[in-house]
Amino acid sequence: MPGSFLRAKAFLRLCIVVGSTWMLSSCGDQPEIRSYEIPSEYTGPVVSWELPEEWGENPDLSGPMAGSFHVKTDLGPVGRIGVMPFRESVSSVDVANMFGMELGQATIDEEKLKKISEIKKIGDREFEWIRISDDGHEGSTRTVLLALYRNKGETWLFPFIGDRDLIREQEQNFESFLFSTTLRAGKVEIRAKAPALPPPPTHDAHGAPTWEIPKHWVKTSASSMRLASYEVTDRNGSKLDFSVTSFPGDVGGTLANVNRWLGQIGIDPVQEADLDKYISPIVLDEKDAQLVVAEGETDSLYAAILLFEDRSWFFKITGNRELAKVEKSNFLSFLESVCFH
Amino acid sequence: MSKDTKSKKRKKGSLGERRKKFAWLVPLASINLTLTLLSLSMILVFVATLEQVRIGIRGALAEYFESMFGIWYYPEQFWGGEFLNAIPIPIPGGYLLGGLLIINLTAAYITRFQWTGKKMGIQLIHLGIIMLLVGQLATQAMQEESRMQINKGESSNYIERFHGVELAFSDVTDPETQRVVTIPQEIIEEGGTIRTADLPFKIQVKHFGVNCDFTVSPEGSTPAGLVKDVNRGVGQTANLSISEKEEDFSSEGLNFGYLIFELFDGTNSLGTWLTLAHPGGNHWWKESPKLSDLAFQPIRHEGKLWGVTLRSEREYLPYSIELLDVENEFYQGTEIPFNFESDIVLNLEGNQSRRALVYMNTPLRHGGKTFYQYQMNAAANYTVFQVIRNPSWLVPYIACVLVSIGLLWQFSFHLIRFLRKNSNSAQPA
Repeated sequence: MPGSFLRAKAFLRLCIVVGSTWMLSSCGDQPEIRSYEIPSEYTGPVVSWELPEEWGENPDLSGPMAGSFHVKTDLGPVGRIGVMPFRESVSSVDVANMFGMELGQATIDEEKLKKISEIKKIGDREFEWIRISDDGHEGSTRTVLLALYRNKGETWLFPFIGDRDLIREQEQNFESFLFSTTLRAGKVEIRAKAPALPPPPTHDAHGAPTWEIPKHWVKTSASSMRLASYEVTDRNGSKLDFSVTSFPGDVGGTLANVNRWLGQIGIDPVQEADLDKYISPIVLDEKDAQLVVAEGETDSLYAAILLFEDRSWFFKITGNRELAKVEKSNFLSFLESVCFH
Repeated sequence: MSKDTKSKKRKKGSLGERRKKFAWLVPLASINLTLTLLSLSMILVFVATLEQVRIGIRGALAEYFESMFGIWYYPEQFWGGEFLNAIPIPIPGGYLLGGLLIINLTAAYITRFQWTGKKMGIQLIHLGIIMLLVGQLATQAMQEESRMQINKGESSNYIERFHGVELAFSDVTDPETQRVVTIPQEIIEEGGTIRTADLPFKIQVKHFGVNCDFTVSPEGSTPAGLVKDVNRGVGQTANLSISEKEEDFSSEGLNFGYLIFELFDGTNSLGTWLTLAHPGGNHWWKESPKLSDLAFQPIRHEGKLWGVTLRSEREYLPYSIELLDVENEFYQGTEIPFNFESDIVLNLEGNQSRRALVYMNTPLRHGGKTFYQYQMNAAANYTVFQVIRNPSWLVPYIACVLVSIGLLWQFSFHLIRFLRKNSNSAQPA
C-alpha cells in the first residue's frame, strides 16, 4: 500500500511539472476587445448636425457623401438630402451643370445661373441657393435645390433632390438643418473614382509595366527582388526560369550584367568590343532596349535590358538550351506585350 | 579514518540521500531518455526541413515546432512513396521534445550530479543548456514580430503584426482625439455575434477568412457568392467579389484577410459591409482610388462618424520614429544588396530625441523592442523595420556564457590535474 501511495504521489508531481511546462508554453496575451484613445489620425471631413424630426438618415455614405438623409412620410422615405465636402473651391456653374444635366437641362451658363440662384443668409453663413427644375421630361416635377457654402477655399455642397412640392414643404427644415451644421473640412482632397488594384506591398510600384504571359508558363513565388517569376517545364523535366526585375540606376552597366549572365551559363566573359556578339537593339513599348541572346553548351539565356526613367528593367529567361530554343518565340511575344502605360 | 575518506563518504551520502528523496525523478533522469529525445529531435528537424519546402517556414514552425506533435506524410517522390504516402506518421513536436528534455535535464541535475568542484563544470554546462531550452520556450510564448513602415520626412508611432488581423472601429467625430475599439482575430468567429459596451452597435460576423482572392466586378453585375448580402461601403460601390483561399505560409505569401459583417442597432440592421486587410498594411489601399476607403469605411451613427477597417493587428507606441533619409546600395553589377540604411530620429516623451542610423545587422533597441532594417524602397522613399519584442532575449546569451564557463572550468580542471600528475611522476624517486 505505501508503495502504491508513493507511486501516485510521484505521478502527481510529474503531472505538476509537465503541466507547468505546458502553461509556460501557452502564456501569451489572451485576446480581448480593446478600447483606447489616440490623437486624431483622420484626415477626412467631419460634419455634425441636428436632424429635423421629419427626416431620417441614410446609412450608405458611398462616394463623396459625408451625410445622406431622406424625408419620412407615410409612403416611406422620399427625397434625398446630402452633404458633400470639397477640399478645393468648386465653380457654381460646374455644380449646377452636374445636377442640371441629370434633369435634362441645357448647359447652364453664368447668365442663366444668375436667374436661378440667390444668396441666402442662414445664421452667420451665406449660402448660394440654386434651384434647378426638370426641363427634360414633360410633366415632371423633379427639382434639385442646391445650397453651396464657401469657406477659406473649401466648398460644402448640400443638395436636396425631390419633388417640387416636397422641397417647398421641407424648405424650412432644410434651412434649420443647415443652421445646425458644424462643418470640419478634411485635410486631404476627396479623390475621384479610378479603377485600379493595389500593387503587392513588397514590390516597387514605381511605373510598373504590364505584360501578357504565355499560358503554359507556370507562376512561381515572386520575391522582393523579382516583380514576376515563372517556370517553364517540358516533358523531359527540362526547365527554364523566367523573371522580371527592376532596380534604380544602371546597376553596373550592360557589360557587367551581360558578363554575369554569361558566367551563369558557362560562357567566358567578354570585353566591351565583343559585346555585340551577344546583344542587339530591340524596341520595347516604343523604347530603345537591348536584346541579349547567349547559348552555352547546355544552357541558354535570352534577356531584354531596358533603361527607362533612371531605372533598369531586366526581362530574362534562362535554362535548358533545347527548351529555350522552343520558347524563344514565346519570349519575344512576351517582350512585345510589355507596356509601361 | 582520514579526512579524505570522511569527506568522500559524506558526499556519497548526500547524493544517496538526494536520490532517495527524489526517487520519483530517477527514471526521468535516464541517459537513455536523453539520447532518445535527442534522436527524435534530429528526426523532427529533418522532417520539418523537408516540409518547409511544401508549406513554408511559418507553416513548418507551426506544424512541427510550435505543437506537441505533428502529422507527416512520407513524400511521394521518395522511394516507395506511392505506398507509404497514404500513411499518416505522427512526429513528436517541439513543445513535447523541448519540455521532456527540460524535465530530463532537470531530473538528472537533481539526482545525479554532485556538488563538487570537480563536477562544477558539468553542472554549469547542463544549467546553461536548461536555460537555453527554457529561454526558447519563453521566446516562443512571448516573442512578437511586427513591422513599421515610415515614409521619408514622416514619422510613425505604431507597429503592425506580421500575422493576425483585427477589426478596428474608430470614432473620429472629435477633431483632437480618436477613440478606437479593436476586436482581435481570435474573437471573430464566422456566424458569431460580437457585443461590447464600447460600441453603440453589435456586429454579426457573416464570413471571415485569413486569405482571399478579390476582383472588381463590372458595374451593374449582381453580387453573388460570399458578397451577395453586402449592401454598404466599398464592397458595394466597387462591386467587389471575393473567393476564399487557403492561408499562404510561404515567406513571400500575401494573405488578404476578409470579413463580411452586418451591424445592428438593437434589432435594426444598419447594413452589411465587406472589409479587406492588406498584408502590407492598409495604407496600401490608398494606392487604388476605388479601394482606398478600405482603410476607413465611414459609418454614421447617432450623430457620430465611425470608420471601420480590417487591418493587421496594431500596437501604438509611447514614442515615434521619424525617417530623415534612406539609402540602398547593391554590389556593383549585381542584384545583391550591399547595404540598406535608414537615418532616423527617435522622438521620446518630454521632447527628447535621439538620432540613429539603422542598417543591416545594426538594429535600434528601445523600450524592450528591437528595430531591424527589413525592407526599403529608396525610389519610393520609404523604409520598413522588422520590430521584435522578446523579453527573454538575454537568456540565450547568459546560457552561452554559463556553458562557456562550464567548458573552461572542466577542461582547466582536467588540464591542471594532468599537469600535476605529470610533474609528480617526473620527480626522481
